[in-house]
Amino acid sequence: MIQTLALFSDAYRLLNARKIFWFTLLLTALVVLAFLMVGIHETGIRIIVWDIDLPINTSSGWSESLFYKTIFMNLGVKIWLTWVATILGLITTASIFPEFISTGSIEVILSKPIGRFRLFLTKYATGLLFVTLQVSVFTVGSFLVIGIKSGIWMPGIFIAIPIVVLFFSYLYAICAFFGVVTKSTIAALLLTILCWFCIFIVQTSETTLLFFVKYQEQEIQAFEDDLQRSKERLAGVEDPDDHERWKFLYETIEVREKNLKEANESNGVRLTHNIIMGALTVLPKTDATIELLERWTIDLSDLPQSNPDTPPPFVTEDGDFEANEQEITRSMSQDLKSRSPLWIIGTSLLFELFVCGFAGWLFCRRDY
Amino acid sequence: MSSSPIIDLRNVRKTFGRKVQALRGVDLSVNPGEVFGLLGPNGAGKSTLVKILMTVIRPDGIEGTLLGKPIGHKPSLARVGYLPEHHHFPDYLTGRQVIRFSGAMTGMRRVTRNRNADRLLERVGMSSWADKRLKSYSKGMLQRIGLAQAMVNEPDLIVLDEPTDGVDPVGRREIRDLLLELRDEGKTIFLNSHLLSELEMVCDQVAIMVKGEVAMHGAIDDLTLDSRRFEIDVQGTAPDWFDAMPNTTVSTHDETTRIVLRTDQAEEIQPLIDRLRSEHRTIIRITPVQESLEDLFMRAVTEDDGTVQGPGGVIKEGRGRQ
Repeated sequence: MIQTLALFSDAYRLLNARKIFWFTLLLTALVVLAFLMVGIHETGIRIIVWDIDLPINTSSGWSESLFYKTIFMNLGVKIWLTWVATILGLITTASIFPEFISTGSIEVILSKPIGRFRLFLTKYATGLLFVTLQVSVFTVGSFLVIGIKSGIWMPGIFIAIPIVVLFFSYLYAICAFFGVVTKSTIAALLLTILCWFCIFIVQTSETTLLFFVKYQEQEIQAFEDDLQRSKERLAGVEDPDDHERWKFLYETIEVREKNLKEANESNGVRLTHNIIMGALTVLPKTDATIELLERWTIDLSDLPQSNPDTPPPFVTEDGDFEANEQEITRSMSQDLKSRSPLWIIGTSLLFELFVCGFAGWLFCRRDY
Repeated sequence: MSSSPIIDLRNVRKTFGRKVQALRGVDLSVNPGEVFGLLGPNGAGKSTLVKILMTVIRPDGIEGTLLGKPIGHKPSLARVGYLPEHHHFPDYLTGRQVIRFSGAMTGMRRVTRNRNADRLLERVGMSSWADKRLKSYSKGMLQRIGLAQAMVNEPDLIVLDEPTDGVDPVGRREIRDLLLELRDEGKTIFLNSHLLSELEMVCDQVAIMVKGEVAMHGAIDDLTLDSRRFEIDVQGTAPDWFDAMPNTTVSTHDETTRIVLRTDQAEEIQPLIDRLRSEHRTIIRITPVQESLEDLFMRAVTEDDGTVQGPGGVIKEGRGRQ
């Protein structure tokens, strides 16, 4: 315990000595202060003293609480913490392992009565100190500023602390791994950002493909419905001599069956989606982890319902499919939200465990 | 304290990569309360051996003990202090913080390590710089802080790799005195250094490593025993009867004869002096000669054909690990 505390104390001193830590903390404070300057009213939002008319207003069903939760989530967490502060965090912490294992530094520590793997894990945990401090300052600050300004106290936003630290830990595991392998800060940082970009590409591809899968499902459903309707219309033809009507309906049924068969057979999108989904399963789910925060802090029923009167998907007489994109998006969103937190966090942690375990194994086996 | 060796190593082997044999079966023992010097040319494997003791490098094979426990037994390292060569302590820390951190890493309680840090800062002459960051320190000051951090846990064994590196002559003398004080306190000191003259002044035992093996091992007096001799310079040419004398060599240069008698016993040369005096020969000087550590070192690193061992370990022929 004394050794663990000493390593954490040393990590704090390291952060304390780095200008970028204080610079990021200052920027975080400024972002929090920005919450003081925005508010919502009947016709729109207010920034300092300027009123801007927007569809986001209290008259259209936006409560003050929902407004602040939304800006906390979308600006504070999704942009500030998961992008800007994370990049700054990686820049600050990428050097921890390369500097730690450099010649002259590590010998003294390794000669102490502490096991290598424990040393590695403790050092890894100290690397998360940066983001823990940043996100804690941000969340506590946001909690106080929003509470004092609007009188709305939202303790639920404190879930942001473990979620953002968890999100950062996925990337930091990669950074620690490359730090141990390459012993170079720049290489560790660049390779981590490259991996993050690859994960982002996989996640975006999966979401995009899911849209097309849902589109295809809607298309098949629309063809099936239209085929069913055509069959019903055919059965409803009372005049047996109305050849033109018979012929038209038969041809329609034939075309719809052909359309349906083609739609069912074109499973390329579904197959690609499955492959991407398989890849995503073994990768850390950075976006989905942050989305959990939204899932747990914002009640969807609080959101104002927008434009429910969009036309349902249908097939034109020429056989063209007209999709209902809003419905596809809704179905997609439902699909994404149906993914359990256990799957999102569990599989991501498995990835982290694997990468950390491998890095730790290398750390333990290496001569210094 | 137990009389069994503090360090007892047998057959230590280490090959880097597949070909560079840094250690080729090193045997070594260090007794409690002595200052032990490890010498050798660059690349002889000294630092590798020290790092193996400190669990920084994993050996390919090793037998023996450190403080009575198998090498690599982590808890026993709480009784060891270590100053590596080319150490690099974080420059965001102050001298006091480095010493306290080192103490904490050995598991010492706060009160003890803080008290020891204050005492050691005084002892290494760094009290007035204790709360300044390391980035403002000179090389010698860093070395003093390094020494202090190696002693913070009141170790039984202190392993120092080039402890006087970068230290000025006054500082070197202070460190030398400190090492002798530590020995008097019953500490065992394992020194790895290139400064032979300094080692000669403080070491009870030395080992000279050459190409990954221990070429010589023992007390300096014992190792230089064979080299002890008396040189007698006499005016004039050498008398004929010298040829019959055992353990004696004679050479004449510029009307002066040098008689070299291989013995460390002054009594053994008395009959010779008496005979020279009885023949009215002028004795210019009588010099007792003992090989210095440097001579010993050079003897160890010089091959039979007179070539001196170059730097680096042994490169294995062929492929594969031994």
